Amino acid sequence: MTEDFDMENLSQAIVLGASAIGAGLAMIAGLGPGIGEGFCGGKAVEAIGRQPEASGAITRTMIIGDALAETTGLYSLIIALLLMFANPFIRQL
Amino acid sequence: MTDLIKPMAEFSVEGPLKSISFDIGSYNVVISESIVVQWIVMLVLGIVFFILGRNLKVRSTSRRQMAAEYLVNFFNNMVRDTMGEKYRKYTPYIGGLFCFSILSSLMGLFGFRCPTSDLSVIAAWGITTFVLTLRNKLKTGGIKGYLKGFIEPMPFMLPFNIIGDIANPVSQTLRHFANILAGSVIGGLIYFALGQVANGLASIGVPAVCSLYFDLFSAFIQAYIFCTLTMAYVSMAECGDD
Repeated sequence: MTEDFDMENLSQAIVLGASAIGAGLAMIAGLGPGIGEGFCGGKAVEAIGRQPEASGAITRTMIIGDALAETTGLYSLIIALLLMFANPFIRQL
Repeated sequence: MTDLIKPMAEFSVEGPLKSISFDIGSYNVVISESIVVQWIVMLVLGIVFFILGRNLKVRSTSRRQMAAEYLVNFFNNMVRDTMGEKYRKYTPYIGGLFCFSILSSLMGLFGFRCPTSDLSVIAAWGITTFVLTLRNKLKTGGIKGYLKGFIEPMPFMLPFNIIGDIANPVSQTLRHFANILAGSVIGGLIYFALGQVANGLASIGVPAVCSLYFDLFSAFIQAYIFCTLTMAYVSMAECGDD
């Protein structure tokens, strides 16, 4: 009974639980690119409505703007993937 | 690890090849899967471009030559529109990088692990871009022009300019790497999750539809963005002394 509750298990459990919470919290940053790219798409639609013959160039520029705005969302995805699959805190235990 | 944690099944983004490591003297050499897949990409691209470039005539009469001309015009226009006329000599590097990046990212469709989902590969390209911008700055301004460029608008902008110089290749690298890696992970997760459902039958058609966006579209867009950013950074890196 007392063997189940040693500090080794407890500290591993805490680190893993905290990593899971941290990975979930990190992905709240998925809000940013969603709003930003939606805004970019809305502006592109407005511009095409005003000038339909430039729609090729507008679409290309919109896609480039999308990929640039995606960057910070992907930074948070890297942190979440690191915490889930290559957890550095477990190795320090 | 204790038996508090027992995973249901294993999930990893490893590919089918294992890495080989051997020692030369006291130096440990690792040939990882990314390197082997890059050899395959180099072989395929070499053969394709060799075939496209043989027996060219002044007036093209074959579809092969028209395909080759289309490719060359695409890259020439891309470099000329972004960088201007005096940077035409960067066309081979940009064209080669673009094709290499696209084919490397599409290797995931054949079951390999994409070399572009390996940070070392993309970091090498980012460092190359950094060295190219450094060379352009030093060539147009000399060392004095380069150092003066750091205090260019106002002297207190020195830390911001340094951070901006470092952040450009870092963000370029991380963007490309994270996009392709996210595509691989999501594809793997979809296969894995659907594979548990009906003894593997549910993972037959559905992942291909998702991989249209995550693998194909993502590969083209990220390669295009990486090349466009490289061209923009190099052509804007002029410390003119006028």
